[in-house]
Amino acid sequence: MGTLISSLNMALQSMQAEQEALSTTTNNISNVNTPGYTRQTVSFEETQPVQYGGMLFGNGVALGQITSQRDNLLQTRFEQETQQQSKYSSYLGTMQQVQTLFNETTGNGLQSSITSFFNSLQQLSTSPSDTSLRQGVLTSAQNLAQSFNNTANNLQQLQHNADLTVGQSVNQINNLTSQIAGLNVQISSATVTGQNAGTFIDQRDQLVSQLSGLVDVSTIDTGNGSVTLTTSSGTALVAGNQSFQLTAQTNPATGLQDIYSQGSDITSSLTGGSLAGAIQARDQTIPSIVSSLDSLASGIGNSMNSINKAGTDLNGNAGGAFFTVPSAGSTGAASSIRVAITDPSKIAGSLNGSAGDNSNINAMIALQNQPIVNGQSPLNAYSDLVFQVGNDVSTAQSESTSAQAMVQQLQNQIGSVSGVSINEESVNLVQYERAYQAAAQVSAVVSSLTAEAINLGQTVTAS
Amino acid sequence: MSTRINPNTLPDMVAAMQAAQQNAQTAAQQVSTGRRVNNPGDDPAAVAALVINDAQTSQDAQFQTNISDLQSKFQVADSVMNSASQLLTSAISLGTQGATGTLTAANRQSIAAQVAGLQKQLLSLANTSYQGTYIFSGTDVTTQPFSENSSAPSGVTYNGNSAETTVQISQGQSIQTNLPGDQVFANSAGNAFAALNDLTNALNSGTGIAAANTEVQNAFDQLNNQRVFYGNSLNQLQSTESFLSQDTVNLSSQQNSLIGADLTQAISTLSQAQTAEQASISATAQILNLPTLLSYIK
Repeated sequence: MGTLISSLNMALQSMQAEQEALSTTTNNISNVNTPGYTRQTVSFEETQPVQYGGMLFGNGVALGQITSQRDNLLQTRFEQETQQQSKYSSYLGTMQQVQTLFNETTGNGLQSSITSFFNSLQQLSTSPSDTSLRQGVLTSAQNLAQSFNNTANNLQQLQHNADLTVGQSVNQINNLTSQIAGLNVQISSATVTGQNAGTFIDQRDQLVSQLSGLVDVSTIDTGNGSVTLTTSSGTALVAGNQSFQLTAQTNPATGLQDIYSQGSDITSSLTGGSLAGAIQARDQTIPSIVSSLDSLASGIGNSMNSINKAGTDLNGNAGGAFFTVPSAGSTGAASSIRVAITDPSKIAGSLNGSAGDNSNINAMIALQNQPIVNGQSPLNAYSDLVFQVGNDVSTAQSESTSAQAMVQQLQNQIGSVSGVSINEESVNLVQYERAYQAAAQVSAVVSSLTAEAINLGQTVTAS
Repeated sequence: MSTRINPNTLPDMVAAMQAAQQNAQTAAQQVSTGRRVNNPGDDPAAVAALVINDAQTSQDAQFQTNISDLQSKFQVADSVMNSASQLLTSAISLGTQGATGTLTAANRQSIAAQVAGLQKQLLSLANTSYQGTYIFSGTDVTTQPFSENSSAPSGVTYNGNSAETTVQISQGQSIQTNLPGDQVFANSAGNAFAALNDLTNALNSGTGIAAANTEVQNAFDQLNNQRVFYGNSLNQLQSTESFLSQDTVNLSSQQNSLIGADLTQAISTLSQAQTAEQASISATAQILNLPTLLSYIK
């Protein structure tokens, strides 16, 4: 009704609405640096008009709702890219340590040990009965074996470190999924009662982003604000108010931890997050490098053995094994290879039995260029291995860089939708302040008019 | 309404500064180490090639050591044969002197004694050892090659063998490193010991001196034929050594092109990267200092 009192009411409603809007702006400004905060906006709505004397009179303003400005699609893409980025950077972290073991640019690696061993045989070939040169061969053989052992042990240590990461990641994942399940409950109960669950959703998005850094996550919106999380291969992580814990169990065969969910082994089905990166380095790349090293050690060891056995040593006896390597297959050869002889005279350099004959030493030297390691010469096989390691690092580096760029791009896009702008909030602040002031002024004017009405026809003035 | 932009530009600015800093660091590392490639991941193919390159460099150094060892050994052997050759020349002149008809039997016997002395000297030469092993005993290097044996026609017995050894002196190139003593001093085409023994006997008896002297002449020719081997081998070592020196230079230049930095370019990149880094920092500082609308609202 177009009465003065109704105008007073409208002014009051208006002041209330602007005050709530001011409060939302204040909240936005307060959270300008809060990670994951999504800016909130208010919407004003006209209240139902009233009919009076065949006319409709506007009846003031009401605050419609407070909305968090978010884009779920961007958030999902951000989570997916985060999974890729974390996977590559975790993989890269391990592989950068692996490549230092093969950094031939600084002389680290096996090339010098392999070459020195064959060089010591070259030296011995000039004077086959010289004991100090024979000792030189044994020393360089021990260095070679030691280099194989060290490299294999370092790789094993890096594999073990990656394994520790796996165990820690599983704990972090479980912690996050149970928090997310808890938030699901709060969000759906707020949604059901029509409240703005924005703050809880912000928190959940933050947690899902953290989870994406660890493991591949697919988010399925199940309505009423609740989400179901699974890995990309469908293993359930969170459904409604329930989270499904992962467990890490040590596999007795490998000594490494396998990841189980609901009794099934999901280790090899994980495709994203730092967990997948650690597993890839631990279960694929490092074992493949160790296997190449094993072939190399076994190839050199076994070939040296068969040649030494064909010759005669300085004492006129038939030669024995030169290196100790696994008798069947090459597995473990790099970590276990040892020099089998300690007496320099037992290098069987002679074929005709005399001390000055170097024919068998020449046969040992010739191994350097023979296809004794999976159809390749030892150095070519090693050079291929170095290429492989370098290439793994280089590929992971470029993948990681491009995923990082995507993550940054998506963060910008999300920010353009959800980020708090101080300038924008300043405008809102002034806008709401002015409207509040105007409404207050209205109530003052109406109050004065009401006084006029009360004092109508009286000499006494009501003020 | 225009597209809303991300109000929070800080992460982008930090990332840009980090990227600029990273570029400057990479460029500085290239300048200070002189290397473009510092890890296998920087250029996998270059580091794989470096493995082979470094191995060849190291092998070349070993071949050069082998060559220098062989040169000393060959020089000793060659000088022994030179002495043996001079010794046979003396024997030939003694033989010629002994063949002169005017000599008395006593004179001839005195000459015979000198020839017998030469044979002893030859024995000592043929038993020369180098660094603890005998040069002329084939591969039986710990056995003295020749010993006196008065019942043998040549007066000595050869105790070595006829085996030869070879040593690699460059990739794919090997060289024979010994001449067995039977081939040098007791060759069927000219046996120095037998010749000297025969000459001694002829001088003592006074018959067949000229024939025995011819025998010594043959042994002398044979010895000098064999000696050519060491001369040729020393030449071969010399030329292989030059080849290896050149190869080492080539390998070093290849290594540089594999992982070395182009310094001119690296320094220019460094200065560009430093400028970019400063620009990025300065831009960030200016953006951070930009006032917001709040500063103007009174």
